[in-house]
Amino acid sequence: MKNLKYLISLIIGHLTVFKHIFKKPVTLEYPEKKIELNDKFRGEHAFDVEKCTACGTCQRVCPSFGTIEIEKEKDENGKFYPKNYSIDLNKCIFCGNCVQYCPFGAIKMTQNYELADEKKSTLKLEINTLKRNYFDNIIDK
Amino acid sequence: MQTNNKLKINIGPQHPSTHGVLRFVLELDGEIIKSCEPVIGYLHRGMEKMAESRTYLQYLPTVDRVDYLGGFFNSYAFCNAVENLAQIEVSKRSRYIRVLTLEMNRLSSHLLWLGSYLLDMGATSPLFYTLRDREVLLSLFEELTGQRLMYNYYTFGGVRHDVWADWLKKVADFVEIMPRKIQDYEDIITNNPIFATRTKDIGILSKHKALQYSITGPNLRASGIDLDSRKDANNLIYDELDFETKIAHSGDSFDRYMVRIEEMRECLKIISQCVNWLMGNEGDVISPVKQPTLKVPEGEFISNVEAPRGICSCYVKSDGSGKPYRVKWRTGSYYAVQLLPKLLEGTFYPDMMAIFGSLDVIAPEVDR
Ligand code: SF4
Ligand code: SF4
Repeated sequence: MKNLKYLISLIIGHLTVFKHIFKKPVTLEYPEKKIELNDKFRGEHAFDVEKCTACGTCQRVCPSFGTIEIEKEKDENGKFYPKNYSIDLNKCIFCGNCVQYCPFGAIKMTQNYELADEKKSTLKLEINTLKRNYFDNIIDK
Repeated sequence: MQTNNKLKINIGPQHPSTHGVLRFVLELDGEIIKSCEPVIGYLHRGMEKMAESRTYLQYLPTVDRVDYLGGFFNSYAFCNAVENLAQIEVSKRSRYIRVLTLEMNRLSSHLLWLGSYLLDMGATSPLFYTLRDREVLLSLFEELTGQRLMYNYYTFGGVRHDVWADWLKKVADFVEIMPRKIQDYEDIITNNPIFATRTKDIGILSKHKALQYSITGPNLRASGIDLDSRKDANNLIYDELDFETKIAHSGDSFDRYMVRIEEMRECLKIISQCVNWLMGNEGDVISPVKQPTLKVPEGEFISNVEAPRGICSCYVKSDGSGKPYRVKWRTGSYYAVQLLPKLLEGTFYPDMMAIFGSLDVIAPEVDR
């Protein structure tokens, strides 16, 4: 009796598994196909240098010390601007705090997540890379 | 190493079944486990010490990593403690969003547990099915928060941004198809004779022992003790929702499995109630805390939340400055690992994974 019960449950189990042969695959063949990401995705940073006043808020809310480096300078009108600005992705945890708390909306995050590189130094995003990211990913979209 | 007929073997720290980096030193007499000594600390990241050098806002994104399968729970525990200390109001809509995300997180955590537990015991197909369904949840999280595991979605006094109708619709669709999937798992697993023989009457945890070892969560409920901190959580809106606490009585590995399966169904109930409420009601969710510096008055608070692996508590002591004076985490897995030597004593070596897996231990939660 017990054996019969076991046999039935085994058959049900096998049928359930068998059913899946006819279903569509749920996986994607990366890297030929990629998933679509929405604009809230937290990937590589982009930076709008025009908006930044080098206030340093992003530095203060960043959980990983030393990720954001700002060199601030005064322009001829007496306003502060970032002469140099860099984000070190080796240290960044992609939390999005800098984006959320920047009072001027100068930092954005892009959908770029393929960040593997040969050298550590290329992962330190300098101001020009960040600016380019902004033009390529935020304005062009 | 062999000493007076006993064989000492080492499992882990890099072992596929230990769900993280956890090590056991077993003493075997033939196939029988004479003693087991868990060696923890390989994943220690100093989460508690880290808090002391960071402001509340800086620490918040890192707490998701206490238990990376239940990030929302840790986030909630920490946020709740700080909100209580700083007397920050949380709007009703935020609470509903929090409960919705918490329960989705619980579901995704249980799904991963189910798949990997079965994998530990040699059944590979369920892993793919559970991961497939968990993937839907993770994509929903990604859409809402921007990341799949490290959400950083809650803020002190609310959530980062509101949910939108489209997203809620997707959650509702998921809730609709999920019961069928859970039935599928049950068809494959629950009555399977191999699974039943490997888990029934194995690793029995008595009520008394469970209480002695401060076990909480599904492991405790499987031993027949009805303790669910959701039922008496006054900060969340669980009292407005209709759900049951599922318990089982024999406390063996099979019951721990059954309790989690039933809990998944309850999660779905809660999720659909939250979705309905959120679709029908408006409200503010944005936190009243706008400044990047948050001053918390002097005091201490312990906040509890029913996480997938037992009660997760966060103790925060503030000395009135912008940084916490002390943060302490209490997580369910830590206690489950302490229990393991007792459960394993005198059992057969092949049963080890059937017992250990059923406790749903994950290493980062043990070490913090
Ligand atoms: S917070 Fe914004 S404005 Fe201030 S320094 Fe950072 S990027 Fe610039
Ligand atoms: S995403 Fe987080 S860790 Fe990275 S730079 Fe911004 S605040 Fe720092």
